[in-house]
Amino acid sequence: MATKILFILFYLLIFPQSKDPDKILENVKEEFGKVEDYVVDVSIKVDIPFLKMPERKARIFYKKPDKYYIDSEGFALLPKEGMNFSLLTLLNSEHSALYEGEENINGINAALIKIIPLDENRDVLRSTLWIDASRNIILKAESYLKQAGIITIEFDYLKTSEGFYLPSQMTFIINAPRMFFSSRLNKGPFKDNSEKEDSVKTEEGKVYITYSNYKVNKGLKDDIFEKKD
Amino acid sequence: MNDRVVEVSNLSKQFKEIKAVSNLNLNVYRGDVFGFLGPNGAGKSTTIRALLSLIRPDSGTIKILGNSLKEKRKQILSKVGAIIEKPDFYGYLTAYRNLEILARLSGKEISRNRILELLELVGLRNRAKSKVKTFSHGMKQRLGIAQALLHDPELVVLDEPTTGLDPQGVKEIRDLIIRMSREEHKTIFLSSHILSEIEIVANRMIIINKGTAVVEGEVKDLLNSDTVKVKFEVDDSVKAKKAVENTGWYNKIEAVSENKIVFMLDQNEAGLLNKHLVENNVTVNAIIPTRSLEDFFLKITSEAG
Amino acid sequence: MLTLIRIELFKIFSKWRTYIGFIAVGLLISIVHLAMYLEGQSSIDRMTSDLRESFIFVGNLLNGYWISYLILNSLAVHIPFLIALVAGDLLAGEATAGTYRLLITRPVSRMQIASSKFIAGSIYTGLLILWLAIMSLGIGVLIFGSGELFTKQSEAIIILDKSDVLWRFLLAYGYAFLGMAVVCSLAFFFSSLVENAIGPIVSTMAVIIIFLIISAIDVEILRDVRPYLFTSYINQWHEFFNDPVDYAAIRDAVLILAAHIVILFGITSYIFNKKDILS
Repeated sequence: MATKILFILFYLLIFPQSKDPDKILENVKEEFGKVEDYVVDVSIKVDIPFLKMPERKARIFYKKPDKYYIDSEGFALLPKEGMNFSLLTLLNSEHSALYEGEENINGINAALIKIIPLDENRDVLRSTLWIDASRNIILKAESYLKQAGIITIEFDYLKTSEGFYLPSQMTFIINAPRMFFSSRLNKGPFKDNSEKEDSVKTEEGKVYITYSNYKVNKGLKDDIFEKKD
Repeated sequence: MNDRVVEVSNLSKQFKEIKAVSNLNLNVYRGDVFGFLGPNGAGKSTTIRALLSLIRPDSGTIKILGNSLKEKRKQILSKVGAIIEKPDFYGYLTAYRNLEILARLSGKEISRNRILELLELVGLRNRAKSKVKTFSHGMKQRLGIAQALLHDPELVVLDEPTTGLDPQGVKEIRDLIIRMSREEHKTIFLSSHILSEIEIVANRMIIINKGTAVVEGEVKDLLNSDTVKVKFEVDDSVKAKKAVENTGWYNKIEAVSENKIVFMLDQNEAGLLNKHLVENNVTVNAIIPTRSLEDFFLKITSEAG
Repeated sequence: MLTLIRIELFKIFSKWRTYIGFIAVGLLISIVHLAMYLEGQSSIDRMTSDLRESFIFVGNLLNGYWISYLILNSLAVHIPFLIALVAGDLLAGEATAGTYRLLITRPVSRMQIASSKFIAGSIYTGLLILWLAIMSLGIGVLIFGSGELFTKQSEAIIILDKSDVLWRFLLAYGYAFLGMAVVCSLAFFFSSLVENAIGPIVSTMAVIIIFLIISAIDVEILRDVRPYLFTSYINQWHEFFNDPVDYAAIRDAVLILAAHIVILFGITSYIFNKKDILS
């Protein structure tokens, strides 16, 4: 905790804040807060070393502030970190935000904001967000995780029929040690499962989530979120 | 026409250091009831197994029904029925099923009736549906005979067919052999330790010892060419013995008991001896010749060493 | 020839020992199903615990396909014994029972006898694998449903779509039959050498266990031996669950297993043909 505070102070000395990062983040939260709930169809494509999976389809139900339920006909997996509601969870938790300037993302001048969670128990060590301040949406997020290396998320947006900017595609780029992908993968109860330690070599994996068919603010009932998988 | 049903020429078989059969020759003619004799270890079993292609000879030839066994095995075996030593069956199957399976392997159409007929013949009709593992040795023996006759073979090889049978059973088999030979004109190759049975049913025979043939020929000729054991039932055997003391017959006494005295006599000597005894006041109540194959066998095999 | 095969099958299925295999497989799979019903979810959760740290799992991987896949993994040990139990008795059993004399004095060639027995033994093997498939896949899917199949292949996790699984299982079972046919051939070979069925059964299992141990010991000199052991190829059915399927590797394994069968059967026929029947 003390280390973090020292780091923030040091950072502030080097990079004087020209824009208010908290205000920018507050705007993002407020914009997203207009979405009470939504239902969206997703298509998940995985391109990760040591994991092969066919393209999966699912349906995500979201209700403000942090309820979600994912429904799928079969099996599907989605990256935990970085589902946009979990990013918002990060924003809603105690953190320190630092403005680092602007960067061009696909022709848009995005505000670069560094977020350091003050809660040491969180999995995220620190995150960097690229925010389109004109629309108050996150264009890119990069998070350093305790266990899993670095996750970068790139967002594409669409405007729903209800007028909200919501992601049309999220691309997750995971850079993690090989062990993250393949360690301790059990061969099954009948075989010897002693661990094979690979070298700490990093690998890159990607997950593409495509969103379509948003239905926003239709008044989702709470009982949807009480369903068990 | 070659009347020989079985022709064995120079048959030899060795198991490790033991020469079981050595240059054996034998011939069996159509219609024969051929007695195959020899002491234990003479090579009988080896010879029979060779005839039935259970064993491959080291040398020599076997022809059955005019065909080489080596070349026409299947054709030959379709006309041969056999019972070899203790007959064994699939104990977990019924008598009927065992015969049915063997019938289907015979290469001929054998009807259910035929199977039942044979079971009737050997006295097992009422046990057709019983599992063979419940059978006594004698019953298995009977079943063995039934399976040998299933496909109406021309040559029937019987190795100890009456082992384990009661006297009634022995008689039935004997009668069956005679019937098969005389009425059905089958050729029978019969190996047995019960020499009296061979003597009754066989017309030709061979005695083998240490893997080779010792003597082969017609039974009656073989037995007639030699001495005959004759038993005299007398009132006083001591008196009878004294009566022949100074004659050549004294050395021909085989055995003496209370009222009996047994001589080994040449052919036609019995009458002369009888006359001599009577002249010496010995009362002769009966003269019983026993032209014994057993004696012949023991003599021949001991001579052959 | 068909008659001979039918007779041999009749003999095989008239013996109680034949049913041990089917009962054992049925019991074993039922126990596995029960265990999976009670604890299967936690088993899968443990196996995927690392992935779960970073991913949200939606849906259930515990299904009839996954359980069948696990059961097939145990193929190498328990099924061979059940096959040796019957195949080891095919020739030796005739000697023990004394029925060689009955059989060989029939107008059928020894080659026909050997072939019909081997084919009947192979049919028994096929039926046992079919029973395994019905019990594990058929009943498994009935109880647990179907779904995506989660497997681990050469350090990669592969999750196969529901619609992409069944054909793989069919081929895997077909391949498993080939592997077990080698076991059948081996037991049949041993059966031709002796006059008691216990010897072939024990010998076959000894060979399999020794080969498996050699394969498991990670020492260089033994690694060189592995490609020559048929047990190294028995589990090649895993390849059918790979994506993409390495058909070349499967083809090679199939050829090697087929060669084992042909060679073992060839040697057995030769021995049986030359054998003096003294029982």
